[in-house]
Amino acid sequence: MLIFDQLKKSDRPLRILSGIILLCMVLLAALLWYIQIATSKKYVKSLQIQSYRTVPVASIRGKILDKNGTPLADSRPSYNIVLTLEDIRESFHEQYRRLRSLKRRNADAFNGESLGPLARYLAVSNIVSELSGIIQRPLTLDREEFHRHYTQKPALPVTLAEDLSFKELALFKEYPQKPAGVSLQIQPMRVYPFNAFAAHSIGYVRVQKNPEPSDLTDFNYALTELRGVSGIEGAFNDVLHGRPGAKSILVNNLGYRQSESTWMESIPGKNIYLTIDARIQKTAEEALASVAGNIKGAVVVMDPRNGDLLAVVSMPEFDPGIFTPTLSSKEWEELNDPDRRPAFNRATAGAYAPGSIYKIIVSLAGLDSGAIDPDENFENPGFIRVGRRTISDTAPPGIYDFRRAFKLSSNTYFIHFGLETGLDKLIEISSQLLLGRRTGIPVMQESSGNLPTPKWKNNTYGLPWTNGDTANLCIGQGPITVTPLQMAVMTSAIANGGKVFAPRIVQRVSKQGFPSQPPAELKPGELRGTLDVNPGAYSIIRRAMLADVEDSDGTGRHAAVDGMRICGKTGTAQVKRGGRLVRYDTWFVSFAPLESPRYVVVVLVEGGASGGTTCAPVAGRIYEEILKIESGTQAPIEPYYVRK
Amino acid sequence: MSAAHRNINEREPRLEWKIIFPVFALMVIGAIFIYSATSNREALSNVPWYRQIYFQQVVWYIFGLTAATAACAFDYRSMSRWSLLFYWLMILLLLLVLIPGIGSARYGARRWIDLGLFQFQPSEFAKIAFVFALAHFLSKPKNELVTPRIFWKGMGLIILPFILIMAEPDLGSALVYLPVGLAMMLAAGVPVRFLRRLVTVAALLVALILADVLFLPQDWQFIKLEDYQRRRLLVYFGCDYTNYAPPDATEQELRRLRRRQFDDSYNIRQALISVGSGGFAGKGIGHGTQNALGFLPRGVSHNDFIFSVIAEESGFAGSMTVIVLYTVLFFSGLKISLQARDRLGRLLAVGFIVMLFSHVFVNIGMNIRLMPVTGIPLPLLSYGGSSVICSLLALGIIQNVYIYRKTY
Repeated sequence: MLIFDQLKKSDRPLRILSGIILLCMVLLAALLWYIQIATSKKYVKSLQIQSYRTVPVASIRGKILDKNGTPLADSRPSYNIVLTLEDIRESFHEQYRRLRSLKRRNADAFNGESLGPLARYLAVSNIVSELSGIIQRPLTLDREEFHRHYTQKPALPVTLAEDLSFKELALFKEYPQKPAGVSLQIQPMRVYPFNAFAAHSIGYVRVQKNPEPSDLTDFNYALTELRGVSGIEGAFNDVLHGRPGAKSILVNNLGYRQSESTWMESIPGKNIYLTIDARIQKTAEEALASVAGNIKGAVVVMDPRNGDLLAVVSMPEFDPGIFTPTLSSKEWEELNDPDRRPAFNRATAGAYAPGSIYKIIVSLAGLDSGAIDPDENFENPGFIRVGRRTISDTAPPGIYDFRRAFKLSSNTYFIHFGLETGLDKLIEISSQLLLGRRTGIPVMQESSGNLPTPKWKNNTYGLPWTNGDTANLCIGQGPITVTPLQMAVMTSAIANGGKVFAPRIVQRVSKQGFPSQPPAELKPGELRGTLDVNPGAYSIIRRAMLADVEDSDGTGRHAAVDGMRICGKTGTAQVKRGGRLVRYDTWFVSFAPLESPRYVVVVLVEGGASGGTTCAPVAGRIYEEILKIESGTQAPIEPYYVRK
Repeated sequence: MSAAHRNINEREPRLEWKIIFPVFALMVIGAIFIYSATSNREALSNVPWYRQIYFQQVVWYIFGLTAATAACAFDYRSMSRWSLLFYWLMILLLLLVLIPGIGSARYGARRWIDLGLFQFQPSEFAKIAFVFALAHFLSKPKNELVTPRIFWKGMGLIILPFILIMAEPDLGSALVYLPVGLAMMLAAGVPVRFLRRLVTVAALLVALILADVLFLPQDWQFIKLEDYQRRRLLVYFGCDYTNYAPPDATEQELRRLRRRQFDDSYNIRQALISVGSGGFAGKGIGHGTQNALGFLPRGVSHNDFIFSVIAEESGFAGSMTVIVLYTVLFFSGLKISLQARDRLGRLLAVGFIVMLFSHVFVNIGMNIRLMPVTGIPLPLLSYGGSSVICSLLALGIIQNVYIYRKTY
């Protein structure tokens, strides 16, 4: 203030000067306030954009285990050798200087190629060839790919060698003078310990190059991550996947990494316990595979008390491990073979004519409505005439009561009483047993099958329903199709006295790394309904099914096993194309033991000889092994753990 | 004679602390932030401490303080007798620097004379000689200044170094001569009509240069600016480079021009990010990322753009401290010009203060995009021997004027 007082009384020129200087200094101060206080956020934002790169940190994918904790899909560490670019900037410069002096001597040698990228490529490929010698694996560096990495994400390390074997890992670790900038990086990798095993239920993952943008944060670089596309891997992808973490890499003006900090830890995915019992699954797979070399078929083993699926087999099978990291063209061709269709889940998505096993539903309907009197004798001439059509019977002519008709699978008997029972009752029971509907099993492949009704026929063909259609339905032929899974639900309902369970495959979801914690989620077997059928009908059908297996003339006699009373029904459905018979789809549905049913086994074979000769032995073998498992004499199974 | 004055001044303080305090404070800030700006450089990591840039700056401070003390030792009036000789000597040096072989070129400009041990910038020292000579010239009795002949002579004194420095080329340093000359003439009492004419001429000159650079095709330009100077002005005025492309330019050429504009405005963009991201309190000394990560170019962060480093690391609080210290310095200087014993002292103080002020204003201004980028150092804070020594020398002379001030 002293200064201004003195200026005031003095001369004008100095007053003008000091006024101008003061004004200018205030202007600077005001602008600094505007930049550093008022609009500071804008500059902080620009600073972050130019000096930070946000990168996701892969989370470890949860396991898929069987009901006893045997891992069916697991994550193992995969070791990669990576190169940190900022550590070898000096060799970039060295190569550059060398090339420049070469160019001075011989300018034409480079054809006008710019030296910078060439120098970087040479520097890195020197390291690659050195590394090749260290781990004794031929390695190459793709020039285009390296250039792209360098220009787009210099802050991230370059992968030089992927998925080292134990031997390569040891060679690398013990090598005393590793090239500069080279280090090991551990990445979780999906592994299927049993290779092709329960593959259709487990599903598979694929490497996703461009993951969907996360809502948590904007990543500058998306890391490749695994995404389940089928089976439990697909349906429970979000649960298994966990949440990727995020880290910020501080970069300099050239984009090289200076330091990094993880500000959001990744959360590992949760483990999923299936209702599948790996021992039964293995038995079922082996039993089905033993039928023929190139078998196409399915097996479903279900617990009729709660709907738990103990084994779900679809043949031919595939190895879910082949999808990662990439599918070879040969593997792709095999997967897409139009005849074998290995990726197709025949157990849940295969819709087949049920053939004679549909007679179980006719029995239920007939016994409940009173149309069938189990003790009534019925004369079978060996054929039946419906309208103008004559349907021949595979069972010999003679006198039939219910039990004999059932175990010999008489078409005449069931068409006769089916027509008597009436279409409405048949459709009502079928529909209550989930025919024509999806059960909702979360494996991402399911068919509803087809339950034909007059309305359906009118909509599809514009034709009225006839008795012939009902007759076809009674013997499981014509437009009706069912899945092996639906047949397991139906057989369970017979075994448990009318309870219709939605099949359950996921038993519980637990947290990874915390086995002592109680399961996060328990999904009880869902009761979808109870059949409105006279309880006496079940025991009559059960007895008939028992006879089918135990009687010497029963069609299912090949399923019989010592020590277990098995009830079953065979089916052999004609598959026609253009009115011509192309093959038989053969069935065997069963449950055991009779006294307290704990297992339902459904076997389907495409193109089998007959239900009794092709499928019943498969079920028999499965029951035999189940007996061993129950008595504890079966050897525990070990994962094959094959490393490529 | 001087002994007699000392007796008269006995009860008055011998030194003006309002000058000395801000000077020392600024030197401390300068040393700290030059240290911060250079401490993380790989190229300097193996260099011993006595060859580090910050230590060299401290050495320059010591040289400068020695020179300032020496400048206080003799009465400014006796020094001014040599002023014309200094002036012509400097003119000679400015001529010499233009001769290839004597003057050494950096970044396309011939500004330095290499003396083996160190290089110095004659244009910095020329400013001192110029202020001295002009003050000496204008300190004649007031009534003589009314004649146009004297006025034009004074103008000649200004224009001669201006043209020579323009020729280096160093547009920024040259333009500093205009406000300094103008302020000194105003303080000397040159009639206002002359000054109005001078301002008009100066404004015309600047307008001409700008018009030339911004609007005429390159072949027509009669003022030959270096290409980089022209581009700096284009960036400052936010002109789109593509407007200057030949009409038949291909898409690729246009893209190259846009790329170039982006590159050319890089420094100023990064300086703004540094200053703005500092916020109120800054990121802490040595914690600024703009400089450490190399976004603020290493070649300029410790000299022309030292203010960005200060503003980033010490925030608004730090940059205000710097502004306040300079303001105290300027007003103390102006007060000394009031107290000066004669017109010579008054003109010297005004000349040097306006010179320092112009540097401060242009340098801080270019850090916050108020001014175009020119190579003008920030007095006492920027690294550089010539600048430090000249600033301290100028302040020493102001102190000298204070020591021999009039007392009542």
